[in-house]
Amino acid sequence: MKKNDFNLIEIAIYYGIVFIILREWLIPIMELTGTGHMNLILLFIALSLLLSLFRIHFVISMALKLIYIGWFIVYVYSGYSILSGEGIHFLIAELNANITLLLQANWIDVTDPFRTLLFLILIWMLIYLIHHWITVRMSIFYFLVLTVLFVGTLDTFTEYNGTYAIIKIILLGLVTIAFLFLKRLIVNSDIKVDWSHYLKLIIPVILLIGLSGIAAIFLPKAEPQWPDPVPFLKAAAGKGGNDEGVKGVSKVGYGDDDSNLGGPFVADDAVVFTAQSETKQYWRVETRDVYTSKGWEKSAYYAGASTVYDPYMNINHSLPIGPEEGTKQATILMLFPHEFVVQPYGLKSVGVTESNEGIQFLVDDNSEKITPLAYKKPTPLNYYTVDYSKPVYLYSDLKDSSLENLDPELAKRYLQLPETLPERVKELAASVVVGEESVYDQARAIEMYFRLNNFRYDTDDVAVPSEEQDYVDQFLFETKIGYCDNFSTSMVVMLRSVGIPARWVKGFAGGEVIDTNGNMKTYEVTNNDAHSWVEAFIPNVGWVNFEPTIGFSNSRAIDYNIEVPETERDELTVNEEETEPDEVVEDKKDGPQKKSAGNNALWKTIKEYKWVFFISFIVLVGALLFLYVKRKSWMPKVYVKLNGKKHLNESSFELMYLQLLKILEMKGFKRQEGQTLQAFAAEIDRYFETNHMGKLTKAYEQTIYAKESTNVDFEQMKESWEYLINRATS
Amino acid sequence: MHKQIETIIENIEKVMIGKREVAELSVVALLAGGHVLLEDVPGVGKTMMVKALAKSVGAEFKRIQFTPDLLPSDVIGVSIYNPKTLQFEFRPGPIMGNIILADEINRTSPKTQSALLESMEEASVTIDGETLDIGKPFFVMATQNPIEYEGTYPLPEAQLDRFLLKIKMGYPNAQEEIEVLRRAEKTQPIFDLTPVITLDELLKLQDEVKEVYVEDSVKSYIVQLARATRNVSEIYLGVSPRASIALMKASQAYAKMQDRDYVKPDDVQYLAPFVFGHRIILRPEARYEGITTEDILERIISKSVIPIKRYAEQ
Repeated sequence: MKKNDFNLIEIAIYYGIVFIILREWLIPIMELTGTGHMNLILLFIALSLLLSLFRIHFVISMALKLIYIGWFIVYVYSGYSILSGEGIHFLIAELNANITLLLQANWIDVTDPFRTLLFLILIWMLIYLIHHWITVRMSIFYFLVLTVLFVGTLDTFTEYNGTYAIIKIILLGLVTIAFLFLKRLIVNSDIKVDWSHYLKLIIPVILLIGLSGIAAIFLPKAEPQWPDPVPFLKAAAGKGGNDEGVKGVSKVGYGDDDSNLGGPFVADDAVVFTAQSETKQYWRVETRDVYTSKGWEKSAYYAGASTVYDPYMNINHSLPIGPEEGTKQATILMLFPHEFVVQPYGLKSVGVTESNEGIQFLVDDNSEKITPLAYKKPTPLNYYTVDYSKPVYLYSDLKDSSLENLDPELAKRYLQLPETLPERVKELAASVVVGEESVYDQARAIEMYFRLNNFRYDTDDVAVPSEEQDYVDQFLFETKIGYCDNFSTSMVVMLRSVGIPARWVKGFAGGEVIDTNGNMKTYEVTNNDAHSWVEAFIPNVGWVNFEPTIGFSNSRAIDYNIEVPETERDELTVNEEETEPDEVVEDKKDGPQKKSAGNNALWKTIKEYKWVFFISFIVLVGALLFLYVKRKSWMPKVYVKLNGKKHLNESSFELMYLQLLKILEMKGFKRQEGQTLQAFAAEIDRYFETNHMGKLTKAYEQTIYAKESTNVDFEQMKESWEYLINRATS
Repeated sequence: MHKQIETIIENIEKVMIGKREVAELSVVALLAGGHVLLEDVPGVGKTMMVKALAKSVGAEFKRIQFTPDLLPSDVIGVSIYNPKTLQFEFRPGPIMGNIILADEINRTSPKTQSALLESMEEASVTIDGETLDIGKPFFVMATQNPIEYEGTYPLPEAQLDRFLLKIKMGYPNAQEEIEVLRRAEKTQPIFDLTPVITLDELLKLQDEVKEVYVEDSVKSYIVQLARATRNVSEIYLGVSPRASIALMKASQAYAKMQDRDYVKPDDVQYLAPFVFGHRIILRPEARYEGITTEDILERIISKSVIPIKRYAEQ
């Protein structure tokens, strides 16, 4: 038996592996194209592999496959029996029609049955190719690489999740490569290999692959170093991505449905709007008042009440407005067709350009959402201005606030809590506000609670509450990991449970400055800036915004009109007035926050300078490679340098001579093992037309073969040596 | 080149045209205290070579022509009863000289062969229980004709081992042969040869050869070659340790001839075919395939590993 004859079992094993890998090919195709009958296609693959395995004569094999394909198409697409006249007729009609279409280059109208036919033929070819790779080339590397690329690409660009498929493919592929490599070794060598040898070689490989596979599964994985390419590409193409498509993982952005909060989301750089304004502020869109233990809804009771305003009319809303002299105007350019107006705090009115005449604004009294109307119908408005005056809260008012004499309607609405809310949430909230006298201070305490108790900002590792779990309870007591929705909802619930009316606000954070023109700055607000925060009702003051989310901040202008000691006032200023919003928002853009300080600082440094690291690594490797390749030219010089000053004695002379041999060898003058030094020296001297090598060799022979070598002039030797090195390297 | 030795070789070259290598090797054997087996067809100057060598060193030259009916006593001598003195008197045979030419050694009976070879090894003869030393130096140059096998008694391996070197003369080239003719036109130049070195000086040189230094690495190289002959598939019997000793001694003499007081692997490589050649027995299959011991030795040498560092550092 020739050794490159595979035995049946061997091929059967390879084919088994190929079958599994092909199945991994098929799954995403099925999933993404909505193709059914995967089992029938798998059956076809199995059939092809079996026919190939048993080396069925190609005529029979082809006939069988064609019959199968015919049956498949008739069975799936017509419902007739293949044996019936209708079935055959259907098949012929399909072929006829499609071949005509193909001849007309009308690819689009080709019917599904015909596409299926082509697909099956493709699989047929692929299996023939794989057969060739395994039995003739004995290398399946290309197939494996293609498979990984294929699955990887689909994993990246579609909703198909190939995490485990890739692991399976890699492990199986490595095992196959190992088997085939061994096979090649055996075939290419004359060694007779029996089973014990074979096992000795293959078992360690399989163990190694298995262990590294297990290790790979359990090792912590670094976060992706690059942003998800899909939103990026979409953004680059000018299409803001909304949360469509991807199951399980949402994309960040402004959405309407807040009834089920939680779960991870991915970043999205698509720009929603730009705002030209003097100040950086949060952009409010709407509020929510009913907490359902899973998310937020609008209260049905107050639904429907709304008012229509013309442009530039003062809009009524629940928020306080700042003094007249503080009025400013911001210009909004919406790049994404949302049907709402973004409102700065202290909004007075909304204005439009002349071309947008006839536009009105509908303000929903319930959620305070402002919807532009064109001919009484909601419409996206791409360009408008907002006049606003930021409210200034009197410190004394805030300090004096108490919960007595609350408006019962307001209390009823904004103190709503689900009955299922666990007691421990209320107990926690009560313990947080212990010792705080004013309502404002209590709200402040809750706002600060998250920052002081090891909560963590993360967009990936965020849980969704189970059926009987409360969203806030889960966040406060179990996960402590989340993003703005977690923080803001929790704060609202905590405020309400200690009796402070509060509501949940949706909108956008301030964005990033992209242009500055005098006082006016242009802010770019992206989907990443979609945000939620808290408004609490402070008696005597009104609604005040709070920002519980770690890494974010929103300013409240507070007028310290009373006399407080200078030091305390400074402290308050620091606490209240926003310090460096830009930087903080910047943090948010990085997404996940620090895990552990030390480790992260290093990691951050590395990340920041990753190009520097990368480039220096490449340069280093390149330099080493260069030195290695060029060693023939620099090593001799180093030798000369090193030995030039050295005082020669027997042992150093010996070393030098051996170095010379090495250099000569690098230059292509290799001494055969059986060639004597004298003979070699004669050869060298003949080549270089000198007698230096002979001289050196004679002296060297004397040092190594003779009893004592007293009459060697080492200085002269050094000259000969240098001469030869220079000749050899020049 | 050692001056005295050079003069010997030059002296021989006066008679022997184009046979410097044979002359050198003969001198090497002489200096090492060994004997030489000259293998070649008749008429290429074997006798002349020996005579020239003998004359050059001023030694007594004897020649034994071996024939099938030659008796050991014809070689080593015989005791004859002397009626005058009423005693047996020893008449020394031709072996009792300094330089002996044993011509066509394979033509005589094994009994006579072994008598010669024993005396070669012992450098003495034993007659009637009396042992007589043969004079010093003692150098036997035996010749054998490789062509004729009819009526010959090939030397057994154990006895071939007694020869330090086996040398082939070979034919002279055309130029050289013309020169041979030119010289033979009038008289044989051999008669004009005079000694260039005394026997005492020769003995002194022999002693000096023993002082030539052999570094351990070189000894190991000799052993490496010897052991290699025992591991070649074409070889039926490899060389004995005696052959290793012979190679070392010959190398010492050769080094001395180069006026060097230490042995180099070059010496060993050069002499190995002459020392090992007649000590190796090839398998019949190899012989039928036309493989010669020379080919195999050449291969062994080319595959050997020359020591290029001191022994301790190997």
